[in-house]
Amino acid sequence: MKTKNKNPFFNLDERNKQVAYRIMAIMYLLTIVAMQAIVIYRQFVLGQELRDFEDIAIIMTVNSLFLISALLYFGAIPVRKLQIKSIVLIYLLLVVLGSLFTYAKYNIFAGPSLTFGELFDKLIAVYAITGIIMLFFILFSILGKRKLEKELE
Amino acid sequence: MENIKLKVARVEKGMSQQELADLCEVTRQTIGLIEKGKYNPTLNLCIKIAGVLDLTLNDLFWNENEK
Repeated sequence: MKTKNKNPFFNLDERNKQVAYRIMAIMYLLTIVAMQAIVIYRQFVLGQELRDFEDIAIIMTVNSLFLISALLYFGAIPVRKLQIKSIVLIYLLLVVLGSLFTYAKYNIFAGPSLTFGELFDKLIAVYAITGIIMLFFILFSILGKRKLEKELE
Repeated sequence: MENIKLKVARVEKGMSQQELADLCEVTRQTIGLIEKGKYNPTLNLCIKIAGVLDLTLNDLFWNENEK
């Protein structure tokens, strides 16, 4: 009566996979939180320069970017309709947060404060990067929606 | 809540948890947990189990008292 389990994913059944995915998600979250803690510790306790932990910061940024894009693409974040109003609101929110973070980083925590001109240059980069990130998210939302609609046809 | 109906149906068919698990392509623990009511199977697995036991989903998983 015994039949061979044909499940391709290491012979795991649906319950095994569910448990594995849940543990992986928790471990991923803990890893990201730990990496963020390391960045903060290095920056504010050890007083290291940005270049000393830039690699970790880049990994975290790219990781978060792809995580949100994948969630949008595979439908984990429900997007009913892409509205300009919501896009602008999210962009503005990210810009405000980015500006506050940049100001705090360079004019509160860093050594000598930046002049208005220097700070403005940094902020322009923040606005541009935020815009690119938003475009990235919009693109994946559209692709994900299109994929889902194709599957429903 | 324990799934007595599944356990009874399996025993009536003369199958062990392992045999049912093999036919449904899952582990014995999964069948055990379904019977104990500690794991909610997907609809696909419910259909597979019902198919193996020659019963309907209602026979195995519908509980009148929980309506």
